[in-house]
Amino acid sequence: MKPADGSIMNETDLTGPILFCVALGATLLLAGKIQFGYVYGMSAIGCLGIHALLNLMSSAGVSYGCVASVLGYCLLPMVILSSCAIFFSLQGTFGTMSALVIVGWCSLSASKIFISALDMEGQQLLVAYPCALLYGLFALLTVF
Amino acid sequence: MAAADGLAFHEFEEATNLLAETPDAATTSKSDQLTPQGHVVVAVGSGGSYGVEEEVEEEGDKTALLQEEKPQPGFWTFSYYQSFFDVDTSQVLDRIKGSLLPRPGYNFVRHHLRNRPDLYGPFWICATLAFVLAVTGNLTLVLAQRRDPSVHYSPQFHKVTVAGITIYCYAWLVPLALWGFLRWRKGVRERMGPYTFLETVCIYGYSLFIFIPTVVLWLIPVPWLQWLFGALALALSAAGLVFTLWPVVREDTRLVAAVLLSAVVVLHALLAMGCKLYFFQPLPPEHVVPPSKATALPPNILLTPTMSRSMATS
Repeated sequence: MKPADGSIMNETDLTGPILFCVALGATLLLAGKIQFGYVYGMSAIGCLGIHALLNLMSSAGVSYGCVASVLGYCLLPMVILSSCAIFFSLQGTFGTMSALVIVGWCSLSASKIFISALDMEGQQLLVAYPCALLYGLFALLTVF
Repeated sequence: MAAADGLAFHEFEEATNLLAETPDAATTSKSDQLTPQGHVVVAVGSGGSYGVEEEVEEEGDKTALLQEEKPQPGFWTFSYYQSFFDVDTSQVLDRIKGSLLPRPGYNFVRHHLRNRPDLYGPFWICATLAFVLAVTGNLTLVLAQRRDPSVHYSPQFHKVTVAGITIYCYAWLVPLALWGFLRWRKGVRERMGPYTFLETVCIYGYSLFIFIPTVVLWLIPVPWLQWLFGALALALSAAGLVFTLWPVVREDTRLVAAVLLSAVVVLHALLAMGCKLYFFQPLPPEHVVPPSKATALPPNILLTPTMSRSMATS
């Protein structure tokens, strides 16, 4: 897997993440689920958790804005999944498989950016697993 | 015993094997022994409990912080806990493999933990186990409903909290009690010091890993198969615990050793059986009133969730 450039997180930017959260809520709304509260709540608590974990695991500290920014940008595939949910129900084999693929995609890209920005080699799967749990919660929200 | 040759890491493995069997053997190692990829090699030995040993210096910028002499930060800061999360993916996978396949001569703490316990493994294994228990517990009810449409299923979110509290209490309070007991008996033991609290937590945390695939396999609705998987997982997990604790209690009186080991195994068995019975209790068909008439439908819907809850708590 190509390593990401570590310098892309030098300036943190929250516009994109907030836009993606709103897009996720909007696509969920179009699919008939009004769950803005859950989306914002889980994003906030998930960011706090990942921020704590990354501070513990990396030798250099990480700011909350950086964590929120990366997690928010990597939420984009989840928006794609929830826009698919508008057209057909995801509660089936195909829906479950695509949800798993999207969760894996989100968490691998988030962990890739984290380890290249924080210079934590050899720990990508360890960072990917908590991110996968967080994105899994979003996927549960989208599928059910 | 440990020659400073090319295969430095492999030599150390042999030395550790021999050391685990004869704890009072003298080992010497070159103080400038390097490992090939800067992989973390342990600093074995805590004081005089292992006889003559010297610390092996390891290279690696990740562990350089630990070697510096600096005052211990307070336990409310991040840096106090940072040393417990300093693990690689390969180390965590290696520890998990070591807990899955216990062998009599290999002590989990000496071989796999190498005296560097981590909190990452136990924390996430417990979180995963609690999550998987709750999800599969709900899934069995869904599958039972698909097979028998008269069974009424409602998502039981309280199982998530129950699972979480049970697993985390077990994985933290039982090691606390065990650690306290071993320290209390420390005076009887000359050769091997007790494990630190975090090592005990690690032992218990990694030993719970085998239950994760077992719980998933418990979805198969064949009762004798479920009990077989449960017994298998319990045997492997308890064997791992016993083999790890055996060198520590070996020097104690036989009564205390036997009582301690049997208490450990019994608690583990209680946890396994409790999880199986609470989360995978099938709804017996005779307690569920089939919706015979349309007018009788609303009371049934109100009745079956309370019935299932009372069955679950009984």
